[in-house]
Amino acid sequence: MAAVAERTTRPQKKRRGPHERREARIGLLFVLPCFLLFLAFRFGPGIAGLVLGFTDYTIGDTTHFTGLQNFQRMMHDPLFWSSLRVTVVYSVLAVPFTILASLGLALLTRRAFRGSRLFRSIFFLPVVTSLILASTVFIWIFSTKGPWSDLMGLLGLPEQSWLTDSALVLPAIALVGIWSRCGYGMLILLARLQDVPRELEEAALMDGAGPFQRFRYIVAPQLKPAFFFLAVIETTNSFQIFDAIYVMTGGGPANASYSLVYQLYDAGFKYSDLGYASALGCVLFVMTVVVALVQRMVLGKEK
Amino acid sequence: MLHATKVRTTVRRRNIAALAVVTALAATAVAGCGSGTGSGSSSKKTINTWVYPVINDPKANAAYWDGLVKGFEKENPGVTVKVSTYPWANRDTALATAIAAGKGPDVAYLIPDQLSAYQRNLIPADQWMPAADKAAYRPAALKAVTVDGQALAAPVLMSSYPLLCDKKVFDAIGETAYPTTWDQLAALAPKLKAKGFYATSYSGDTTATLNMTFYPLLWQAGGDVFSADGKKAAFNSDAGVKALTWLKTFVDNGWTPKDLVTTTPQIEQTDLAKNKVACTWQNTAAEVEPFWGKDNIEVGPALGSTKSVAYGTVGTLAVFKGANDKLAGKWISYVAQPKNTAGLQTPGGYFSPRTDAAPLYPGDALQEATEKVLSSTDVGPLNKSARDVMGLLAPQIQAALLGKTTPKKALDDAAQAADQLIARKR
Repeated sequence: MAAVAERTTRPQKKRRGPHERREARIGLLFVLPCFLLFLAFRFGPGIAGLVLGFTDYTIGDTTHFTGLQNFQRMMHDPLFWSSLRVTVVYSVLAVPFTILASLGLALLTRRAFRGSRLFRSIFFLPVVTSLILASTVFIWIFSTKGPWSDLMGLLGLPEQSWLTDSALVLPAIALVGIWSRCGYGMLILLARLQDVPRELEEAALMDGAGPFQRFRYIVAPQLKPAFFFLAVIETTNSFQIFDAIYVMTGGGPANASYSLVYQLYDAGFKYSDLGYASALGCVLFVMTVVVALVQRMVLGKEK
Repeated sequence: MLHATKVRTTVRRRNIAALAVVTALAATAVAGCGSGTGSGSSSKKTINTWVYPVINDPKANAAYWDGLVKGFEKENPGVTVKVSTYPWANRDTALATAIAAGKGPDVAYLIPDQLSAYQRNLIPADQWMPAADKAAYRPAALKAVTVDGQALAAPVLMSSYPLLCDKKVFDAIGETAYPTTWDQLAALAPKLKAKGFYATSYSGDTTATLNMTFYPLLWQAGGDVFSADGKKAAFNSDAGVKALTWLKTFVDNGWTPKDLVTTTPQIEQTDLAKNKVACTWQNTAAEVEPFWGKDNIEVGPALGSTKSVAYGTVGTLAVFKGANDKLAGKWISYVAQPKNTAGLQTPGGYFSPRTDAAPLYPGDALQEATEKVLSSTDVGPLNKSARDVMGLLAPQIQAALLGKTTPKKALDDAAQAADQLIARKR
């Protein structure tokens, strides 16, 4: 009954006139090049990757369909489980702290003050800096004789290279990841913060709400869609961590920073085992989709 | 009802159309990926050659290849040779993807470890090596290109990595005798450390090739990476354990920089460049010269324990399937002539792989000493699982050096995984 009522109350679709149809066609024409490029360079390779995951494709050799063999091999590959653990731990470290750092920077530079634009630019600079270049500098920063080690010494902690310690290497790389990404998050949150009506905060101030209460009950709910967007983007990004690890540790020490994408790269380009590399890519894809869906359920209920 | 059926039909049609698009794309992509290994083409008159900056100076590099191309094209009217110089970095990624896309080169500069990796894609070079030419090659050079009894490529240059010592460091500790064995280097290490120097600088970064880092120690201890038939890992022998234990002593005692066990900074940022390292078997004289100064480089023999062996590489030119093999073969034979390779070898301090070549560095004591080591070099295993095994072994070596496991267990664990891998790849 309710379904019938819903059907009857649904607004009738308005028939488009010839002018509107023409405009729509022109619009489609504009979108077409981008759509074709997407098909050719994103969708096509993606599908090809999925298909190759079910083959034993090796460059220069005959390709056979192997069914689930690559995935079965993966289940018994200790390196896969190790790299999966590294990827998850890295994401757990990097994603929340990137969002927190982004929020901190966005709140700091939210209001216009003398030099606020300069600060925003400075905070955004790491986003447009090559991570490969930055990583070479971070090798020095985290080395035994580097400033990070000195700082630890001042805090009464052991002076050591974080990159040679299995327990500290991922936090070190996560710090680099947070440094390179928080400027982007700041920009997204800043854009959203500009839309929060000042009157609401002023009214709350008049009612005696403190800064934390104003943030908790007025600002934070408005930022929820931006948080969701950032959570998805940053998780996807952290699942694909490769360049900083490649430059800073090469996956070491003793595979303690060997991520899933690193294993995929090695399988594909070092060992020419492209079937297995594609299967690893499939797993990464499924992981990303599942996490995005879970995040959507948790963070994006209302939108 | 009729409307609902129509909608369902339309949706189904759309789904089928979408599925067709997906299938077509996938098929195209897979077909594209598989089309890199066609058979030779005798009608092709162009030889696409991929090289790397063996000659560092881009202008000198271009001039060298242009000269050879002109000479070859003059001798072979109607033939065009295109030489493209690619960066060293990620060269395998570029080469592998180009081959997969059917855009690979006809001829490329490869090192021995690549020969076994690309064996399926190569046309053996044996047929273009007359007996006289073959006899003129140094045995080490010929061995380095021979896989399954066939020479896969034509050697064009050689290098060796003897033990290099920094005279400045030895002067600072008042030593005049340079080490040639493990025991001598280990005996000097405490004295060096007391004065703020490292005995050596071992790069344990997993991206560094073990051919240059750990394998020389393994060979020096009398061991090898694979069993004689190539079907099993052999690095976990007593010799392997001895080599890794010796190395671990250096890390544990601070006789080599610990940071380098996991990272490889630019050479300018290393202690080696700051005259803080006494000896190295992982660098060439040309690499350390800008930092040590030519007069401070002491070239020793290959470091030794049970035997004296050093890493050395052989640069080669290989012909890929899909090339006009007759012309490509003619081209690599032309380049490989001693008079033509000299220009490639001298700028980087390399040597001729042939014994009939004119001396390249007359009067240069440094280069003459380095050349002597060529006969005791090893290029590393030419096994098709060599790279994969390196990927398994390197993290275990790191784990042992950082005290996460013992040398014996590290090598045994790596060997167990390597045996499974070798069996799967055979």
